Amino acid sequence: MSKIFSVALGIIAAIGGFVDIGDIVFNVAAGATFGYQLLWAVVLGVGGIITYAEMSGRVAAVSGRAVFDAVRERLGFGVGLVALVAGQLVNLLTLAAEVGGIALVLQLLAGLPYRALLVLAVLALGLVLWLMPFEWIERVFGYGGLCLLVFAVAAIKLNPDWGAVAHGFLPSTGSGDLAVYGYYVVGLVGAAMIPYEVYFYSSGAVEERWTANDLGTNRANVLIGYSLGGLLSFALMISAGALLLPHGISAELLGTTALVAQAPLGTVGLILALIGTLFAISGAAIDSAFSGAYSAAQFFGWRWGKYRHNAGAPRFTLAWIAMLVLGFSIVVTGVDPILVTELSVVFSVVALPLTYIPILLVANDTAYMGAHANGKLANTFGIFYLVVVMAIAAAAIPLLLLSNMGQG
Amino acid sequence: MNQVDLALGLLDHQLVDSDGQECGKVDDLELDLKAAGGPRVTEILVGPAAWRGRGRLGRLAAALVGGQTVHVPWAEVVRVRAGVELGRPASELRLGRGDERALRLVERIPGAGL
Repeated sequence: MSKIFSVALGIIAAIGGFVDIGDIVFNVAAGATFGYQLLWAVVLGVGGIITYAEMSGRVAAVSGRAVFDAVRERLGFGVGLVALVAGQLVNLLTLAAEVGGIALVLQLLAGLPYRALLVLAVLALGLVLWLMPFEWIERVFGYGGLCLLVFAVAAIKLNPDWGAVAHGFLPSTGSGDLAVYGYYVVGLVGAAMIPYEVYFYSSGAVEERWTANDLGTNRANVLIGYSLGGLLSFALMISAGALLLPHGISAELLGTTALVAQAPLGTVGLILALIGTLFAISGAAIDSAFSGAYSAAQFFGWRWGKYRHNAGAPRFTLAWIAMLVLGFSIVVTGVDPILVTELSVVFSVVALPLTYIPILLVANDTAYMGAHANGKLANTFGIFYLVVVMAIAAAAIPLLLLSNMGQG
Repeated sequence: MNQVDLALGLLDHQLVDSDGQECGKVDDLELDLKAAGGPRVTEILVGPAAWRGRGRLGRLAAALVGGQTVHVPWAEVVRVRAGVELGRPASELRLGRGDERALRLVERIPGAGL
């Protein structure tokens, strides 16, 4: 029974960890611009996160090493430091984007000034992290984020052309501006594979003292959790494609997303969409702040852990506080959180290879992994996604410039 | 432990003290190249100053952060598993002092023990 419960919790954590402001922004914008044509890019991204989350969870369970332990052991100090700095910049941009997103949603709910809500958001996150036991945080934000399922209902009620939806699962070069289309491919894959998910997941596995006996739980968590997360992404893109594209509404505001649920489902739809968004991006803000602290602590060898009390891992505690302060100071300048979101996703694609190469190396090392080293399946997917990520990383910045950040 | 591939098997690994607490990384190694029966590890070097021996970026980072190198004699190592396990508490080996300093700051905030 406790096994089933822990799997359920892991799945909820995976859904919560998956859907963040990057997924919401890119899926809705892609739906509003290209209809259902880019659904295949979500499948590609979800496959990538399943592949590398499974691998990093298995490495953590069998070898006791979290991602940045492996990064430093395998890449050494110099290259490891580059990976750390790149990863931390992405963590910080992601956190800033989520904090800005929280303030935007609160603004829609309460109508107070944006900067006041930023202060409120960051103080609330700090208090939750300081006071609440981690199991509670995971449950509250995980279950709250499930309100996003309202988009699945909205997608069905909007009665999309299911033939066109099915067609969208086949990769194509799309109709319309090729640079913009390419930029959305980068964004959708990047948002699905954003690196904090893997840092957070593998660190949690080490903290929960997973062993080889937990490999089944690991597989169930990533397969079911990220697939359901992907389902939410489909729902966002399909409902945006069914509602916004025919009306020529672009999706530059987070409020447009809530509108997608309000049109078919009324006020209940609107409220559920806003609450789901609020919990999902708050959970992602917490995960990314912790990921920053995990990465630094593992690279430098500090005490770390969310299950320890605040004084039990002092530098780790100061690190997540610093992340919150820095993230806040980025968005309080007044920079558009949607812009920060897009930048965080595009730069995360550039930073991904440095995270995934060491995981792939350790997962193949029988000295670390024994009988649980990568098999043919894990390596086929692992190498395939490494190539995908490197191709996307090379194309990310040129496409960002060519497409004028998706504006054409 | 008799033979390990030093670059992969030891360097940059986690140090864990006798209480199971993380207390730094193997930032560099001191070797005795003339020991009977081949080169031997004599000391583990820990702390930002030890990054000096770790390439150009290491020198830069060491210069930026400063501090002292802590020398841990190889005899203190009990065994090498996921981490390099030491036989004494970190404080007796002058390790984990950054966490002690940070603790004095964190302790002042109400609810630090939660």
